[in-house]
Amino acid sequence: MEAFRVLIVDDELDFLETIVKRLKRRKVDATGIDSGIKALELLEKEHFDVVILDVRMPGMDGIETLKEMKRKRPLLEVIMLTGHASVESGVQGMQYGAFDYVLKPADIDDLLEKIQGAYERKALHEEKVRETKVI
Amino acid sequence: MLEESQYSARNFYSYSATALTAGLAVVLWFSEEIIFGAVALAISIVSLLSSRYLTRQVEKAAEQKRHLDQQLIQSQKLAAIGELSSGIAHEINNPLAIIGQETEWIKHLLKESSLQPPESDEELRGSLQEIVRQVDRCREITHKLLDFARKKDPLIQAADVNKLIEDMARLVEREASQKNIRIVRDYQKDLPRVQTDPPLLRQVVLNLLNNAAYAIGKDGAITISTQQSANNSVELIFGDTGCGISKEHMDKIFDPFFTTKPTGKGTGLGLSISHGIIAKLGGRITVASEAGKGATFTIQLPAKPPKGEQ
Repeated sequence: MEAFRVLIVDDELDFLETIVKRLKRRKVDATGIDSGIKALELLEKEHFDVVILDVRMPGMDGIETLKEMKRKRPLLEVIMLTGHASVESGVQGMQYGAFDYVLKPADIDDLLEKIQGAYERKALHEEKVRETKVI
Repeated sequence: MLEESQYSARNFYSYSATALTAGLAVVLWFSEEIIFGAVALAISIVSLLSSRYLTRQVEKAAEQKRHLDQQLIQSQKLAAIGELSSGIAHEINNPLAIIGQETEWIKHLLKESSLQPPESDEELRGSLQEIVRQVDRCREITHKLLDFARKKDPLIQAADVNKLIEDMARLVEREASQKNIRIVRDYQKDLPRVQTDPPLLRQVVLNLLNNAAYAIGKDGAITISTQQSANNSVELIFGDTGCGISKEHMDKIFDPFFTTKPTGKGTGLGLSISHGIIAKLGGRITVASEAGKGATFTIQLPAKPPKGEQ
């Protein structure tokens, strides 16, 4: 797997720690953080390629966070994570440019495949942007 | 019209030729030239059958052409509406942004000026908050509208359509099952992978599933099937047992802002955005329905989008 950075945002700390650990074991450069606002701050300072974002969080919820992320970093790919999703938030998430949804409890192989797909998309997008700049 | 009269003229000729041969057969039969008669009879039967076959082919072609015409009109109409509405959305966005900014500024001034807020101040704040909320609502609509009209190139990746649909189905399933709506799967195994824009396709699938659940309301079934069709293209079919679409709504359902939902419940942009996405991916989305008898949406998706298609 090519080296790229994944940020996981979820307020449930147990879940967060486990998933970061499991992804690291699969050689994914994963970082965990427990709120949308902190995630946005971190994105200002550090570079990430793919974000995994919980829909239901206190304070700034997943959809709000997604909107902000897409506004500030349009090329960032975001996978929404949901325990008991309302369809409404699903529709909104896709409209605001989420790459995909993963239902909790996430199957790690499935999640890896989606992360891979999201990263591939980001790379494609960057390539396209570069091409248009050259022309 | 001209073509139809041509068809009937052609039919007339072929039928009269058949009748003539048949007549000749009868005459020859009675004039004791039985072999010639039999041959003529055989010829007349063959020509009758072949002319009927030809007529049917011609009719089929005419039907196909009508269908294509309709689709062309539909897509031209949507393109025109898209252009118009994106123009309006742009124009409205600027004043909206100013209203929003001014409201924030008033809120700020209020906070500074009144150290001890009188009661009316509370009310003022409430009403400013409402302005902010409504501006946000308008902004959401204009953004969706711009999305609908946006000429953004899709990003093409390989996708397993069955899996893509299944992920969205599971997202809808829990809420649907609470309303006693079953989801029935009929995926074709080893469906070929397609080159498409997966998140855009997910958006469409989710939109269709959500609509289906809404149309059913409670107690019913959504049937999802996939199948391979010509040239490795795939077909995605979403059927529901919901309220169906009345005849007069049929040719409006892909129009932006057309909705049968109560005011404030839907913007009427879901299906028009979906239509735009599928067109961008080089596919087609069609609907078949009858009021009271559910609806079926069919998406035809090419193995990969044609070059130059945006």
